[in-house]
Amino acid sequence: MKLLQALTWSLLPLAALAAKKSPKVERFRKFHERALSSSPLKLDDRDYETLTNAPRNYSVAVLLTAMEPQYGCQPCREFRPEWDLLSTSWVKGDKAGESRMIFGTLDFADGKESFQKMHVQSVPVLLLFQPTSGPGAKPNAQPLKYEFGSSPSEAGAVHGWISRNIPDGPRPPIVRPVNYTRFVFITTMILGLLSIIRVAWPVLVPIIQNRNIWAAVTLISILMFTSGHMFNHIRKVPYVVGDGSGGISYFAGGYSNQFGLESQIVAAMYGVLSFATISLALKVPRIEDPHKQQIAIWVWSGIMLGMYSFLLSSFRIKNGGYPFWLPPF
Amino acid sequence: MADSAVGPFLQGTTGRNTRGLLRLVILCTIAAAAVASRLFSVIRFESIIHEFDPWFNFRATKYLVQHGFYSFWDWFDDRTWHPLGRVTGGTLYPGLMVTSGVIYKVLRLLSMPVDIRNICVLLAPAFSGLTALATYLLTSELSPSPSAGLLAAAFMGITPGYISRSVAGSYDNEAIAIFLLVFTFYLWIKALKLGSAFWGALTALFYFYMVSAWGGYVFITNLIPLHAFVLIAMGRYSPRLYVSYTTWYALGTLASMQIPFVGFLPISTSEHMSPLGVFGLLQIVAFVEFIRQQVPSKQFQTLLQSLIVAIFLASVGILILLTVAGVIAPWSGRFYSLWDTGYAKIHIPIIASVSEHQPTAWPAFFFDLNFLIWLFPAGVYLCFRTLKDEHVFVVIYSILASYFAGVMVRLMLTLTPVVCVAAALALSHILDTYLLIDSPSAEAYLNDGTRADSASSSTVSAPQKKPSSSAASDSLRSTRDPLVGIYSSMSKLSIAGAISTYLLLFVLHCTWVTSNAYSSPSVVLASRLPDGSQHIIDDYREAYQWLRQNTPNDAKIMSWWDYGYQIGGMADRATLVDNNTWNNTHIATVGKAMSSREEVSYPILRQHDVDYVLVVFGGVLGYSGDDINKFLWMVRIAEGVWPDEVKERDFFTARGEYRVDDEATPTMRNSLMYKMSYYNYNSLFPPGQARDRVRNSKLPAEGPRLNTLEEAFTSENWIIRIYKVKDLDNVGRDHASAMSFEKGSKKKESTSKRRAAKALRVE
Repeated sequence: MKLLQALTWSLLPLAALAAKKSPKVERFRKFHERALSSSPLKLDDRDYETLTNAPRNYSVAVLLTAMEPQYGCQPCREFRPEWDLLSTSWVKGDKAGESRMIFGTLDFADGKESFQKMHVQSVPVLLLFQPTSGPGAKPNAQPLKYEFGSSPSEAGAVHGWISRNIPDGPRPPIVRPVNYTRFVFITTMILGLLSIIRVAWPVLVPIIQNRNIWAAVTLISILMFTSGHMFNHIRKVPYVVGDGSGGISYFAGGYSNQFGLESQIVAAMYGVLSFATISLALKVPRIEDPHKQQIAIWVWSGIMLGMYSFLLSSFRIKNGGYPFWLPPF
Repeated sequence: MADSAVGPFLQGTTGRNTRGLLRLVILCTIAAAAVASRLFSVIRFESIIHEFDPWFNFRATKYLVQHGFYSFWDWFDDRTWHPLGRVTGGTLYPGLMVTSGVIYKVLRLLSMPVDIRNICVLLAPAFSGLTALATYLLTSELSPSPSAGLLAAAFMGITPGYISRSVAGSYDNEAIAIFLLVFTFYLWIKALKLGSAFWGALTALFYFYMVSAWGGYVFITNLIPLHAFVLIAMGRYSPRLYVSYTTWYALGTLASMQIPFVGFLPISTSEHMSPLGVFGLLQIVAFVEFIRQQVPSKQFQTLLQSLIVAIFLASVGILILLTVAGVIAPWSGRFYSLWDTGYAKIHIPIIASVSEHQPTAWPAFFFDLNFLIWLFPAGVYLCFRTLKDEHVFVVIYSILASYFAGVMVRLMLTLTPVVCVAAALALSHILDTYLLIDSPSAEAYLNDGTRADSASSSTVSAPQKKPSSSAASDSLRSTRDPLVGIYSSMSKLSIAGAISTYLLLFVLHCTWVTSNAYSSPSVVLASRLPDGSQHIIDDYREAYQWLRQNTPNDAKIMSWWDYGYQIGGMADRATLVDNNTWNNTHIATVGKAMSSREEVSYPILRQHDVDYVLVVFGGVLGYSGDDINKFLWMVRIAEGVWPDEVKERDFFTARGEYRVDDEATPTMRNSLMYKMSYYNYNSLFPPGQARDRVRNSKLPAEGPRLNTLEEAFTSENWIIRIYKVKDLDNVGRDHASAMSFEKGSKKKESTSKRRAAKALRVE
């Protein structure tokens, strides 16, 4: 069996040559020629019909999409560059067409009939038509459908899916073009930054060595991390959510859930409490006027009490059974 | 005060001795409180090992005690990961087991025959007492105030962030690792302060102990070099740094390589490269410093400085080159996912699936640390005041640890010590300022309008000199004015009162959290009956005991990996996968068997010699941690290996919902997991009224049918269900047709079976 397959494959280029000579050019060759100049092929109803008609001795992957702005298909737009990249690098890596694979895109604007015929309700849809004759043929003429997850698919995943489902043959790897603009941009940025640092060095040194700035940076990052900023970052939680009656709800229900604004409120509470502590510890004992000092102590301890009480009450929102509280909240 | 009765005890040498004794007594009390607050679970339930991983540690400890150290070192365990087995001796951190083994032997030697289980159960509380002590030592190095250390020790003793991993019975690596972490840091600070090779060697010794005990040692491995690097970058290189760091690195690395599980990692992986790099940098810096002292030429110094930078850049370049070339392994997935937070979810679902690897929302911080969380930034700010070498350490530690704790719930554990230390620094500063009985004279100020000079000398709290205006940029804005002190006793009283209230509230909070959230063994569940009395749900142990008594000794049990260690520890039966998730493919195989149709799963079960399959089902009780809720992770992990055969999408309805009722997808309803969970579940309810209490949904009128498995055991509350894998049919039929034949042929059957038979004809 293996031997037979190898034989077939080694004969394929010859067969292709033969096909070229014959007056009626083979369907695959025709589309492949087109694909060499631009892939994926931009199809219309007629092309689509000819291309996917059974029997076929090649594989076809068709992306059904709707790129026109009035449909507002965000996933289509997100997937488009990946799809183009995949098909271009496939065709470039397999110029001879040994994998017998055609990539095509059918936009709703060009293929309304086909869309209706197939009862396509939502886009994007990626179909893979496996060969029905020739080596590696599948008896089933129905195309396979690629499952787009909730997140936009990456070219590698689609590449893997196609590779698994087509008959043996070369699978050209995805070649991501080097992004020269970005490279130049980054180099320029680095050089620019270096020269700025060089020029501004006398000004920068006091800033870098300034303890207050470092203290501020440290405190801000600690407050950010301890108020759940990384949770927002990883889970991509909404910044704020309406409460259903026109207002907004600041606190998410549930112990292990939060909103973006909520964590900022909490960070602000921690910040105020810390600042009150610092003031009581460092600033107040340095006030020379006894009356001012007395007032400062009352104010700061009042703020501390109020804020802590508010913090406890917000925590009770998150954790219903929490039994502790402080006046006034 | 001097004329009171206790006066003589507080002055001179006697006073020092009294205070020392008092401190000792307080520390002992703190340690006792730390131990006592961790005993809730022992008192409520019994002396039992908790959760999952501890069961493996317990089993390994028993093996160590029975067979001795050398055979423990060479232990090949053929009762897990069937049929692969596991080279246990070379793939675990032996510190924990060896510690309890030594304690066991010593107690034997003293003629105190204590059961090894009790040692394991009580090891974590005992070490938490030591942790409190280590925190006291560490904080005392950071602050001249005697109260800071005691406060830090008290915080560390009872804060829930640490209790969560160290209650009695939680016999896990973290139980001793946090003590080692804090103590190693204390030794490092001490070594750095004294520039002593002796203390450096001690640091290395405890670093070795830490390496042998917990994978989190990498935190130390990177934090100490970072500290050294920042010190060099701040221009604070000193011979003390050189001596302490090089001693620690050379000895510590050699020692850590003695652990088989670590082996050559310290010289071949990226996460261990920063200590090596800083080690090299220190040599160059030391060399340059030496030359500088000998040759005073200005140009020569510039040359040398650029030499440092050039060599540093070159070595970083070489490091990157070696990594690309594959000589040095890149960051391992677990560590890499800490930086690139989206990495694990895409590439290693098994890491993302563990609940303790989830990011932390803010309530968890407050829950675990209470008011320490807002004292923490204030304490860090106070560190900037004098900013000695050791304070730089606290600053770096707090930033890094708060980042890590934000990314992973589990790493709250490494944040807790520094929070306790920093909060104690802040609070002790306040207490020292406001509890001082001597007040500056207000009249002096009011009369001449100038500051009373004696005021600043009478306060003990802030030992730093008043900053001169030329060094203004080098000090904090809030400490530029000279220190005066607190005038009125009223304000002293109110602040002291407020702080005491907060402290009391903290104690209440800690006790409440420990008692409610962290003291459940999770092997035994407790619930309240309507009359308020406690009801113990003991299904796990019931089922494991059943396995132990009713199955052959060499039976293979398949379950999801969460329960692998428990089956090994409690039922003593061989398992396919367990919580040591070293082989993703094997886990995915189990996931595939659980999530596929019976026709697909049965060959997998046969090929792996599976005799029994165990599932956890919470539908009856409303126990939400069951397998149906974990099912999607099984699917995801299986899909990672067999993307064609298992698809997560198939388990969701068209509208993207995960359902178990009538609208569940066919793939879901035909999966082995679904069938095993709901098999015969209908018989508990009147016809057509079966309800799942966890997912709160009504189940299909007909229950699923199982052909290749038969129900062997179901625990009292249906939490654990065990199925026996049928042997091949005697007459060579497939199981489905054999079942149909049996059902159809029998005339006299119980009602529930007849219903199932009717269902068959409908099909």
